[in-house]
Amino acid sequence: MLRSFKSAALGATAAIALATSAIAGPYDAYEGETLIVNFPAHPHFDAVMKILPEFTKETGIEVEVDQLPYLKMRERQTLELAQDEGEYDLIAYVVFSKADYVYANQLENLARYFMNPKLADPSYDADDLIDGYVYNIGFAGGNKGYLEGKTGSLYGIPYGSETSILGYRKDIFEKHGLEVPETYDEMLEIACKIPELEPGMGGLSSRAASGHHASHAFLLHLAPLGGRVFDDQWTPIVNNAAGVQAAEALKTIVDCGPEGAASFGFGEALGSFLNGDTAMFLDTTVVAGQINDPKKSQVVGKVGWAMHPMGVRRGSQTGGFGIGIPANAENKDAAFLLMQWLTSKKGDKLVALAGGNPSRFSTHADADVNAKFPHMATFGEALQHADPDWRPIIPVWGKINADLGTTLSKVLTEGLDVQTALDGVAERTKAVMEEAGYYTWQ
Amino acid sequence: MQYQRQNPAFFALLVALIFMAVGPIVLMFANSFKLDVDIIGGTTGLLFLPTIQNYETALCDVLWYEPEHLDFCALKFGGAFVNSLIIALVSTLLTLVIGTMAAYALVRFRFFGRDTVSLTTLTVRMVPPAVLLVPVFGLWNNEFCIDKATYVGGWIRDTFGGRGDVCLAGTHSGIILIYVAMNLPFVIWILQSFIVQVPRSLEESARVDGAGPFQVFFKIVLPLIKPGLAAAAIFTFRIAWNEYLLASALSDRNTKTVPILIVNNMSEFNVEWGVIMATGMLLAIPPIIFTLFASRQIITGMTAGAVKG
Amino acid sequence: MNTANRLAPYMFMAPAAVIMGLCLLYPLGYMIYGSFLDWNPSQSIGEADFVGFKNYINLFFDPAFRESLGVTLTFAVSVVIAELVIGVGLALLLDRNIRGMSLLRTLFILPMMIAPVVVGLMWRYMYHPTVGTFNRFLKSIGLEGVDWLGQNALLSVIIADIWQWTPFIFILSLAALQSLPRSALEAARIDGATNWQQIVYIKIPLMMPVLIVTALLRLIDAFKVLEVILVMTEGGPGLSTEIVALRISRTATEFRELGTAAAMSNYLLILLLLLTVAMFAFTRFQDARAARLARQVQEEG
Repeated sequence: MLRSFKSAALGATAAIALATSAIAGPYDAYEGETLIVNFPAHPHFDAVMKILPEFTKETGIEVEVDQLPYLKMRERQTLELAQDEGEYDLIAYVVFSKADYVYANQLENLARYFMNPKLADPSYDADDLIDGYVYNIGFAGGNKGYLEGKTGSLYGIPYGSETSILGYRKDIFEKHGLEVPETYDEMLEIACKIPELEPGMGGLSSRAASGHHASHAFLLHLAPLGGRVFDDQWTPIVNNAAGVQAAEALKTIVDCGPEGAASFGFGEALGSFLNGDTAMFLDTTVVAGQINDPKKSQVVGKVGWAMHPMGVRRGSQTGGFGIGIPANAENKDAAFLLMQWLTSKKGDKLVALAGGNPSRFSTHADADVNAKFPHMATFGEALQHADPDWRPIIPVWGKINADLGTTLSKVLTEGLDVQTALDGVAERTKAVMEEAGYYTWQ
Repeated sequence: MQYQRQNPAFFALLVALIFMAVGPIVLMFANSFKLDVDIIGGTTGLLFLPTIQNYETALCDVLWYEPEHLDFCALKFGGAFVNSLIIALVSTLLTLVIGTMAAYALVRFRFFGRDTVSLTTLTVRMVPPAVLLVPVFGLWNNEFCIDKATYVGGWIRDTFGGRGDVCLAGTHSGIILIYVAMNLPFVIWILQSFIVQVPRSLEESARVDGAGPFQVFFKIVLPLIKPGLAAAAIFTFRIAWNEYLLASALSDRNTKTVPILIVNNMSEFNVEWGVIMATGMLLAIPPIIFTLFASRQIITGMTAGAVKG
Repeated sequence: MNTANRLAPYMFMAPAAVIMGLCLLYPLGYMIYGSFLDWNPSQSIGEADFVGFKNYINLFFDPAFRESLGVTLTFAVSVVIAELVIGVGLALLLDRNIRGMSLLRTLFILPMMIAPVVVGLMWRYMYHPTVGTFNRFLKSIGLEGVDWLGQNALLSVIIADIWQWTPFIFILSLAALQSLPRSALEAARIDGATNWQQIVYIKIPLMMPVLIVTALLRLIDAFKVLEVILVMTEGGPGLSTEIVALRISRTATEFRELGTAAAMSNYLLILLLLLTVAMFAFTRFQDARAARLARQVQEEG
């Protein structure tokens, strides 16, 4: 009797304890913990750095950030994720890392966390996340192995969603009575007209440097012009008519571009636009912050934004980063809480106001955000036309990408014939795919 | 000493040479005090309003105040500088001690295996760091480890924190070790030529007085080869201070050195020339100081190394 | 002699031998073993598959690797030749007692003491197509800008290396010149040899041993260059400046193929070994010849 009374009393205290903890909030259990996260050195994550103190204030969870350039970040993660016990609790990853990490079983499946009532916030509203990006960055195991679909599941959440957009100099376009280009033909025509109209000024600044840069610039044109790297059977078709057209578009852009364009990386290409040496810029939306920053830009207020021009279809890039929890992390639950906070409606809006790239429909439509960044509505529209499959996300892509990039750079600087170059890429890609086992079922 | 008279064309040539040698460094120095807008926008020459903003950005983690132009401290230059300093100083010291002893043995003793050692030392000098990248990366991460379940491993994890097995990769010791190994052949080679010049009679008279081989080494030989040691120290320090490739493969977020920080900071999204130049300048300052104060030792070291063959 | 004394040489040698064995020789062996594996950075070496000579054969027929081998050789040979010509030329020209010589030497050392990473970023800035120093200068005197790191990337990289390392050869040849036997030069002057004749027939032959060692040192170092190029061009455009060292590092980290990178390292090592052996043989030969020559000169004097 006494014993049962005692246990009842105990139960009651426990219930009270539980109740108080429930009132005090879901973060209590983790207060004072330190999360170690790995983020890229990138404007969006610079904005994240500004809002992290807010998270710590609200939850009592400390965050220590290791910021690395994104290629370095990938190298670091390759090593860290392979250990039995890793250092990072939360990582941001580039889209094309998704394939490697998920395939090697190094990322946590997020189902467990969204099922856990103590962790999952009921007001999270996952439907508000922009679809294409969740499919492109977060899902794996569905269509083609790397997209959404009936067999797919979620391994990460898009954070810092970028797409390609056309920035143009309003003053120059007005001065010469130019129309903002809607199609590729118009864009290329204007790009080559500008150096005649404005001596010393380049048409469109694009990245073109050997390797990743050249390849990225090419793929940017490939999707809207109707091309793909592979057909449904994994046969490389990068050398078909659309591929050739895309490479020729890139060559035209570089030839009519600013001086030294063939060696431009992203930084140089953007620098040239910021400095007023080019009339147009076709690349990621992430640049908006810098273009509006008088410390870095000489063209503040002179830039208008338009959708990525159409070829045969709309097909702007899906880029940016996702965040996920490494399978070897120490504080997975707290990491999930941080992840959820960052990608929640509130976090997304905060980061947008700090200059980041929001990933939610609601943030793009938000009045405060639009008041501060008038271009946000255009960007939101562009995001909806983004093509989640503009670039394949398979483990051997790194190698193919490097080959594509160096070969295209030869086209741009050494005058290699476009068709020959792409035929070479297709042939070598085929060998790589063969070796990786993509033709086993044929 | 009597200086020869030279025609003015000669001095013009000298000035041109000095300008070429130092020009880029001065340019970097000047740019490190400019804002990016000025660097890109085209205020050429030396007429500009100097600002220490770039240095504030670089050193934000060690400043006692928060610079106004920064939203958060992204560059942890101070920490990297301390890492560089620890790694360069410790590895220089170790290389010198170990290298001098080996050089002394090679010069003064006839022993079994001497020729092999001597030849090996010479051959490994040519190994480029890039060749060591793959094996060192593999070994330091996977093989040169202590299981954390063992007593020593457990103790290290308890004392210093961190997770997983205790490996050389990611520690100061790991980077120091490879630098010592890389620099040893050079130091042994250069010091041999200095030790040869120490008169044997001095050592023999000490030995007659009853001194053992170690006493002879520390009391007689070491003091006499000080110039050689200075030269070797500067060269070793230079390599340990400047090296990028191996350090970037072996360091983690807490053991980053300055060259890694600089390369990382040339991120493609945002080339901030001013800050890059400031960090470059900070990295270059110690070697520049050495050069200005110890140029004689450096030249001695260089010539000793080459003439000996 | 007691045991302690007999053991002394080994005790002096031991730390160096252990460290070099463990951190240089063992890794080299590990690398050779690794070059026969299909090995990626997420695996430990034990998990990797043995593939025999596949990596070597693939590399041998890989046009990209061949190109980067060609770039490396072009780079190394051109910088060594250019630096030798300029360095020795300057040394011959400046071999006199002039005020300011020691200052010149001090300032000349600066470029080689500065971190390659910093040298790379300095030159990357100066070569910048629009804001860089060179093109600004060219435009200010009314010329066309040059596409330094684009069309002329390899040349630009070579120029930067020449800037950094010519002083090395200059200082060594100056030291060699100043330690030449005065008597031989005096004798030649009395015999009425012109300056030019003195240089060609006496100074250069007598300097030869030092010059060869210097050239060898530079050549070995030229194969070690990586950071300057990494920072300036990252190997581009195309593969035009992708030296083997850079390709090794990219293969290991970016393409994640440690086995191939190890095989590449081995090719580079073999190449360097051949060069070193050849140069050593040549030095021996030249040494003998120079000694004979010096004797002759002295006898004639």
